[in-house]
Amino acid sequence: MANIMRVAEHQNQRKTATRSRHIDVALAGNPNSGKTTIFNNLTGARQHVGNYPGVTVEKKTGTCEHHGIKMSVVDLPGTYSLTAHSGEEMVARDYIINERPDVVVVILDASNLERNLYLATQLMEMNVRLVLALNMSDVAAARGIKFDLGLLSQLLGAPVVPTVGHRNEGTSELLHAIVSAATNEQPEHVSVSYGKELEDEIGRISDLITTSGTPLGQYPPRWLAIKLLESDQDVRKKVGSEEILGAVEQTAERLEKLFGHPLEVIIAGQRYGFISGACTEAVRSTVEARHTASDQIDAVVTNRVGGLPIFFGLMYLVFHLTFTLGDPPMGWLESLFGWLGKVIDSWWSPGSESALRSLLIDGVIGGVGGVIVFLPNILLLFVAITILEDSGYMARAAFIMDRFMHKIGLHGKSFIPMLIGFGCSVPAIMATRTIENRKDRLTTMLVVPLMSCGARLPIYALIIPAFFPHSWHGPMLWTIYVIGIILAVCSAKLLKLTLLKGQAPPFVMELPPYRLPTLKGTLIHTWERAWLYLRKAGTIILGISIILWALTNYPKKTDFGRVYSAEIAAAESAYESDPETLAAKMDEIEQAMQAEELAYTMAGRIGHAIEPLLRPMGFDWKIGTALIGAFAAKEVFVAQMGIVYAVGEADEESDPLRERLHESYTPLQAFCIMLFCLVSAPCMATVAVTKRESGSWKWALFQLGGLTTLAYVLTTVVYQVGSVFTAGAG
Amino acid sequence: MATTMKLSASLEDYLETIFHLVAEEQVARARDIAKRLKVGQSSVTGALHALAEKGLVNYAPYEVITLTPKGETAAREVVRRHEVLRDFLVKVLLVDERAADKAACEMEHAIPPPILERLIEFVEFVEVCPRGGAKWIKGFRYHCEHGNLDNCERCIASCLDDVTKKKSEAGRKAVMTVALAELSPGQKAKVERIKGRGEINKRLVDMGLTPGSVIEMGRIAPLGDPIEIKVRGYHLSLRKEEAEKVTVELL
Repeated sequence: MANIMRVAEHQNQRKTATRSRHIDVALAGNPNSGKTTIFNNLTGARQHVGNYPGVTVEKKTGTCEHHGIKMSVVDLPGTYSLTAHSGEEMVARDYIINERPDVVVVILDASNLERNLYLATQLMEMNVRLVLALNMSDVAAARGIKFDLGLLSQLLGAPVVPTVGHRNEGTSELLHAIVSAATNEQPEHVSVSYGKELEDEIGRISDLITTSGTPLGQYPPRWLAIKLLESDQDVRKKVGSEEILGAVEQTAERLEKLFGHPLEVIIAGQRYGFISGACTEAVRSTVEARHTASDQIDAVVTNRVGGLPIFFGLMYLVFHLTFTLGDPPMGWLESLFGWLGKVIDSWWSPGSESALRSLLIDGVIGGVGGVIVFLPNILLLFVAITILEDSGYMARAAFIMDRFMHKIGLHGKSFIPMLIGFGCSVPAIMATRTIENRKDRLTTMLVVPLMSCGARLPIYALIIPAFFPHSWHGPMLWTIYVIGIILAVCSAKLLKLTLLKGQAPPFVMELPPYRLPTLKGTLIHTWERAWLYLRKAGTIILGISIILWALTNYPKKTDFGRVYSAEIAAAESAYESDPETLAAKMDEIEQAMQAEELAYTMAGRIGHAIEPLLRPMGFDWKIGTALIGAFAAKEVFVAQMGIVYAVGEADEESDPLRERLHESYTPLQAFCIMLFCLVSAPCMATVAVTKRESGSWKWALFQLGGLTTLAYVLTTVVYQVGSVFTAGAG
Repeated sequence: MATTMKLSASLEDYLETIFHLVAEEQVARARDIAKRLKVGQSSVTGALHALAEKGLVNYAPYEVITLTPKGETAAREVVRRHEVLRDFLVKVLLVDERAADKAACEMEHAIPPPILERLIEFVEFVEVCPRGGAKWIKGFRYHCEHGNLDNCERCIASCLDDVTKKKSEAGRKAVMTVALAELSPGQKAKVERIKGRGEINKRLVDMGLTPGSVIEMGRIAPLGDPIEIKVRGYHLSLRKEEAEKVTVELL
């Protein structure tokens, strides 16, 4: 017996010893409590962003050191509670239970203490060592709120450290408190008392759990009992024992009759009662609450008349900044890659047919360029989004747009990503991160490509003037955009009704007070996004670029239908005296050769092979081939059409190409091309980002397949119905 | 519930005065207390020290005086005793109000709790029981003034009318509880219950909308749906369909 005790003691000592060398810290807190700022203060640049295993909730980890003691810090997702409401809450509580961090720091917004402590009361029940960080204590002080820190810490059974995150105040005190909490014994453990009736039942059920020996060793029995009485579905499933669940049900039925409210309501009420008690004792307000500056801003910004115009004005500003300020750097990057291509080109003798040269210039540089070219947009957009979010306006934007978005089964927060989609789907999909509900986020991500992005504009600009009279140009373009919006709305609704069915996420959320965003926070956040994009999406985009390069270049044609070298020689001798005609003639020959080459490549062959499939939509193999190229980026469609029609370098202003198109297709076919380009497979960057942001290829491929199928069916119907009408008219 | 601590009659008077001052003006100052109790400032200071020592008030020189939670409980107890006694004297015994107040002031320090409880029950009973009630007490006044009992038949006849009236009053009270979504901006209310069960209900109580909590209706979004309310000192937004689940009592 004594032996066993000595062993246990020894193990304890060893545990304390390990603790003193390395401490695992988890940060918990409400959204908007300033948790991320504290995390940045603690860890500085030593951060790593990843995902929690199996879910796409972002996991941020970092390290720090205090007096030689190393700590690893995990930033848990911001939650209001620890029930099974959402993925974030589940992740936070599973992490605390499974990973058993040495210390959990709860970041509390001192100016809104009651609701912030609600999360803390739940953590108390999980038997963890707590440190409470009373953040934004400057705001609280300015509002005349005084805290009796000693008393508060005694009442809550955990050390309380005042901090001011955005000024980096209290960080070393917080570190000190973490270290002493990890090494010393926790002060007397405090937990919420739920009143005699409930406490009796909690005791009985936790005894039942202990004696039944369910394999839930790491869960504190009292916590389990409370969660069962709160009818937490996840815990019910974990416990599973019929005996215990039966007992819980009986108890719940009896007590609910007694109290006249569901037990979860009573339990929440008791927690808030406990908090109110602690606050009335340890918190004093010396100034009467006035209308704060935040209220005054809201009086303007969410005003019934001015709210919408201000919102759209701000959105326009974000859009404008992102896509106009981003334009010059995009141009610089493009020319940088152009120059780089030339430099590499100069390594080979002119006219070389080296495959390596082509791979480097067209495949690698083209691919890397294609990735990096989005970077200015992404950086600017995330600066804007971070500012909107950190200032508190994002919550108002959702508040303003929710009614409209809720009608199509989405949350107000989905509006901004969809709007950004008109610029470019890639940053739009990354912007869906602000949507907490996974199903909503996926739905938004999947339909965003239907918002006609900037890269599709060159296609419309090429085709519309080629086929339609001048007065139709505006309305035609407008029609295409509207079709995109309608399809997005319908698809979102459809997805929410079928595949991503689920209760619409509640809009019960805080409208946080307005705050000035910090430079450090904005920079860190923006950098994180940009880095994630480069590292994760970038590699996929590069890979696909190389595949596409191979498809449009191989196999090389050696045996041409015409003898081009002879034609060139003939032209050279015939137009020797007339260099202008010679140049034109040479171009013509060159273009014919390129067209023949493209037709011979895999892309051309695939185009030919799928021609029967494309027929119902009114497309021929040439369009098919161009569409394969368009997967790299939508605007490539125009260049590819230029090549297959052998009119040389083509852009959307290319009149020769318009003439050729006009000769080859009817206006109905032209409309079908635009429709198909609007709806069909998004570009590879979009697919790559969707994969990255949804966490699986499944959704990226579903988006690719789904949209292409939709485009196919829709275009076929339009073409077939249209053909009947035009035939009738003709 | 009752405070275990024994307080002198004078300290109870101080506590009661502070309670009233805080209720009326948010804070109490030594000057005002002296004025109300008609005593000198120095005795106020002494009493405040004694109360602060017992942990009943927050008191530091030159700062406003507030009650501690313990002090508030004790003060409520004194005030309640005073009100019960005054109510009994005024409503049942029909004593003149000022005289009743003065008598209550003196009686409140001496009356033992069990007798007080019984008195409360009696007043409640008299007020509610259709066979007692206001009419019955009026009858008692008639008796006091005229010294005879010849009005009994008429009195009984009016009893039935009284019952109907009280029932309709109860009905009107039920109307006062409305769905949270129906409040207009600026209105204050107390949460009465959360209808139904489910994830949204849990979320609502997690955010602090527990029965008994006081809320204030804020703004409505430009498109007419989500609404914003103030609860526990912060702004909460929720859709009208979610607010529909919450019934509140108007304040």
